[in-house]
Amino acid sequence: MTTYIIRRVLLIFPTLFGITLLTFVLLRYSPINPLQAKLAGGENGGRAMTAEVREQIIKLYGLDKPAIVAYGDWIGKIVRLDLGESIIDHRPVADKIGERVGLTVSINACSLILSYLIAIPLGVIAAIKRGQVIDRSISFVVFVLYSIPSFAAALLLILYVAGGDYLNLLPMYGINSINASTMGTLPWLWDRIQHMILPVICLTYASLAYISRYARVSMLDALGQDFVRTARAKGLSERLVIMRHAFRNALIPIITIFALALPGLIGSSIIIESIFSLPGMGQLTFQSLDAGDTPVIMGVTLFAAVLTLLSYLAADILYVIVDPRISYE
Amino acid sequence: MNTPVITSESYAHRIWRHLQADSYARNGIRIMILLFFVAALAPLLANSHAIVRVADGCVTFPAFESLDPIEWRFLFYVPLGALVCVCRHHFMSHPGRSASVLVGLVVLIELFIALYHPINDPSNDRDRPAEFKLMTPIPFSPTETTADQFSPPSWKHLCGTDSTGRDIASRMLHGARISLSVGFVSQGIALLIGIFFGSVAGYYRGWTDIGLSRFIEIIDCFPTLLLILVVVNFTGSKNNIFCIMAVIGLTSWTGIARLVRGEFLRLSALPFTLSAEALGATDFRIIIRHLLPNSLGPILVVGTFGVASAILMESSLSFLGFGIQAPTPSWGDILSEARRYIDFAWWLAFFPGLAILITIMSYNFVGEGLRDAVDPRMKVK
Repeated sequence: MTTYIIRRVLLIFPTLFGITLLTFVLLRYSPINPLQAKLAGGENGGRAMTAEVREQIIKLYGLDKPAIVAYGDWIGKIVRLDLGESIIDHRPVADKIGERVGLTVSINACSLILSYLIAIPLGVIAAIKRGQVIDRSISFVVFVLYSIPSFAAALLLILYVAGGDYLNLLPMYGINSINASTMGTLPWLWDRIQHMILPVICLTYASLAYISRYARVSMLDALGQDFVRTARAKGLSERLVIMRHAFRNALIPIITIFALALPGLIGSSIIIESIFSLPGMGQLTFQSLDAGDTPVIMGVTLFAAVLTLLSYLAADILYVIVDPRISYE
Repeated sequence: MNTPVITSESYAHRIWRHLQADSYARNGIRIMILLFFVAALAPLLANSHAIVRVADGCVTFPAFESLDPIEWRFLFYVPLGALVCVCRHHFMSHPGRSASVLVGLVVLIELFIALYHPINDPSNDRDRPAEFKLMTPIPFSPTETTADQFSPPSWKHLCGTDSTGRDIASRMLHGARISLSVGFVSQGIALLIGIFFGSVAGYYRGWTDIGLSRFIEIIDCFPTLLLILVVVNFTGSKNNIFCIMAVIGLTSWTGIARLVRGEFLRLSALPFTLSAEALGATDFRIIIRHLLPNSLGPILVVGTFGVASAILMESSLSFLGFGIQAPTPSWGDILSEARRYIDFAWWLAFFPGLAILITIMSYNFVGEGLRDAVDPRMKVK
């Protein structure tokens, strides 16, 4: 197992190299490359680039140097976590990401935990009642939820429960009320929770579908195993058979699929955070795309890709740790 | 003496029968076909011009006069495609003659389109007096602004109007074309790339496989929506429909490549591949004639799911303002307008959201049905 883990960890380096290379190539050979831009001002998503900004980008990514040298220099900077500075407010990109990543991670973590908590029981019930009405209705509902675009759901949720002409239960957008700084700890926390409810719902409901389907398949697989038959044969109650024997084994593959959910969650965060005006990574991405803030875009892209890579790694390693029967030789 | 009759059923027929037995998939296919025709016939379903108008003793067809080349192509090629589908047995039995008939029809259609000059008439036929006129079911053009701003759904405007008084029902019918064409074209591109990389990696194995698998993993690490936004932003190809299709296709092929690689790894170890090799077939022939047809089932499954996610992706892009150019109707674009007026104009969010939901659901149900149908573990009744 140790050899497998070491090999798996070593394997991320070529991928890491590829990720940085792809990010770099994307910038260097794109039409907004300041050296290749046709207009004097340069074309940047429809926005003119000032001479100063142009100089800055050329310097940051070494666009005046040969590609290999420029790439090497850039990697050197990245290793020191120097991602350059934003061309909008001249603050280091690493700082900008650092101050926003907490919110995005907390929202996504809430949504992942919540979807696991809802989806696993759904999947297990569907597996136990396989082919019955309850199984079919669970998969239908989950499928419908999966097909609702998150931005339409977000808009309708805002319309019906947050302000507007209907129910006014929850705040419409933002992460805190205006007077949040004057609140005590508990009211502040309650205020924060109220602001998080809608975004978390929007991020959660879509992942219910594949987690519960996965749970169902995994549970069906476990229920068909010999040890379940043995457990039944020795006269255990059905509840014990399912909870002790089948469910615990079915859980193994389910816990590792969080990694598969991550890229989707990062994508949805861009949409959800911009709808609810949450100051997280997604909003940062959207704002910098809109403003043509190249260093921030590059930084965020690289960050998201590396995060995804690490979560794939974590999932693979977790998989062998939780299930010692699996061997990769 | 009785000769035993051996009935064999083709793979495609078996899958089709399985799909027909699955009520979700069956209804999914019906909705898919319906949407397809809505998209093709949008100018005849929602138009400010009359289909037929009789005035001053002359008969005109104003709705047809304003069609642009793309709309004509939609009108001609979709029924043609349907015709080929319906008469496929006839076409199969006379391949030579039907090929020439088809080529002839295509040449005729293209010639007609090339010679045709659309008349751009911003007026409408709704209030224009005539002895007889047949309006389209929704008598508004998608980009036509009227004085009824923010009118809620009514008999006049079935799905309401937006801030400039454009009819939402009409915009949605025309928006179906954007969604479906982006879905199909981008998924076609993704299939080509995915099948290419997947088959090379799966067939040649060894270092080729290791290298290509790393490449797939690298692309996989970038969240698709983020990658698309970055590419669209960097290439400055904002708002061009063909660029949107290409970018979605270029970034969403990894799942297909993984699947094809897996199938090829499995199939190339089977005896039929060995015997083809022993007969001296070239690699290309083995891949195209032997391995690919045997993995078509699973490819079809991911392709169907892929169309759904491409449609969702396009509407997300339009919603974020990185999609198709503004006056062109698209479902995501209506939703992005809804965002500004969300405190009262519920119909702006509800109807396009419902359209996306139904479309994606039908594709996902068909995909799900196909998955069951091609799964060899599932018993076909």
